[in-house]
Amino acid sequence: MSGGLIRTLHLGSTRRTRAPMLIAPALLAACEGQQSALAPAGSDARVLDDLFWVMLVGAVILWLLINGLFFYVTRINRAALSRRFANGLIVVGGVIFPTVVLGALLTYGLSIMPDQRAPGEGLTLRVTGEQWWWRVEYWPDGADAPIIAANEIRLPTGQRSEIVLDSARVIHSFWIPALGGKMDMFPGRESRMSLMPETPGRWRGQCAEFCGASHALMAFDVVAMPLADFTAWLQMQAAPARPPATDAAERGAQIFAREGCGACHAVRGTEARGAVGPDLTHVGSRLSLGAGTLKTTLTDFERWITHTGAIKPEVEMPAYDYLTDTDLSDLAQYLKGLE
Amino acid sequence: MTCKHLPRPDEEHREFREEADSLWRITLSPVTWVAHFLLSYIVVAVVCAKAPALLGTARIGLLVATLLALAVIVWLGLRAWRQWDWNNTGDYTNPVGEAEDRHQFLGHAAVLLALISAIGVIYGTLPVLMLESCR
Repeated sequence: MSGGLIRTLHLGSTRRTRAPMLIAPALLAACEGQQSALAPAGSDARVLDDLFWVMLVGAVILWLLINGLFFYVTRINRAALSRRFANGLIVVGGVIFPTVVLGALLTYGLSIMPDQRAPGEGLTLRVTGEQWWWRVEYWPDGADAPIIAANEIRLPTGQRSEIVLDSARVIHSFWIPALGGKMDMFPGRESRMSLMPETPGRWRGQCAEFCGASHALMAFDVVAMPLADFTAWLQMQAAPARPPATDAAERGAQIFAREGCGACHAVRGTEARGAVGPDLTHVGSRLSLGAGTLKTTLTDFERWITHTGAIKPEVEMPAYDYLTDTDLSDLAQYLKGLE
Repeated sequence: MTCKHLPRPDEEHREFREEADSLWRITLSPVTWVAHFLLSYIVVAVVCAKAPALLGTARIGLLVATLLALAVIVWLGLRAWRQWDWNNTGDYTNPVGEAEDRHQFLGHAAVLLALISAIGVIYGTLPVLMLESCR
């Protein structure tokens, strides 16, 4: 037992000494990539990025000034200041300077708010936070019914899209760092935001308010596309599910029905009309599974179906680990075929 | 020597009453600030919830209220400045606990409170000036 303890302590100390070396590149890498507010790809994120740098540079200059002054009066010139100078320092440095600087920052901050809150220009998305996934509805201008998807947000570039946010049970927060600021989602109360992606590409969004056991695994893919591509994609999403293309997929569809998956999941164009879990009509064409947790390969479908709770703690979907390998493979074929 | 400077019998009472009054007066600038702050928040919240179309009128009303609040604060500040009497006495601080000293110290405190209240009112008005919609 004591040997184990010593080994643990030893491991602990090794980890500690290595930690800075491991953390440094990770921190640097965090400034780029799919989920960074410092690598903006939309007009709202760019404004926030500017604000961050202005605040950071300003804070560094102030820090240097204050500490420089402190160093000067305690180490370089220790002579007592005249009362007149000291009073002047308090009035100028303690009243006028902060008032002007804070006033300027407040004015700058307020000047960027109207754009951040501007209304959308046609497309409206309605996103509902679930535990722990995202229900997504697309409402194109003038639509009577939504086009339903899940765990993936696609937006056209060069135009501002309205995003209405809601939540089913607990508070979540919708955040795509590369595209804009975050906004909380409350049960029973709609909040809204709008985003204007500028560069086509793929990013990652993440729930930013602790919402339960799998909060950290509540992510989503974000794709910004040129308007024409987006329109084509949305048309495809509006279509009912493809019929199974192979015998294996056909068997998979029967297993899907037999196991009662349709009680929770909808596959439009089939008997499956459940609305408890994500809509699976086009799940095969999505970029991830389990709200940004797995990819959408056949293996990942199998892993998800058989190990839901292990992959995502406390998730509501039960693990279908009693399925035979053949059944599982057929089911995965069917789901992957739902493109 | 004349009797002109002899204190009147009720001199101490009068002086105490005046100091008590000026103790109340130093709270008036922050109270004006609080009133302006609450008015701004409540008016905007109610108008945006019930009648967003009236926001333009509400903004003008709030700007008028701002000017009134600033006028009150400036007036209080000037009175306090005279009470502090720094220009004449040259006493920036008033550390001695005598009646005149207390009188001037209260003026000094009131000047500073008027200053921060004025800054508070101006900062509180910037959103009214710069944000044009309820969004």
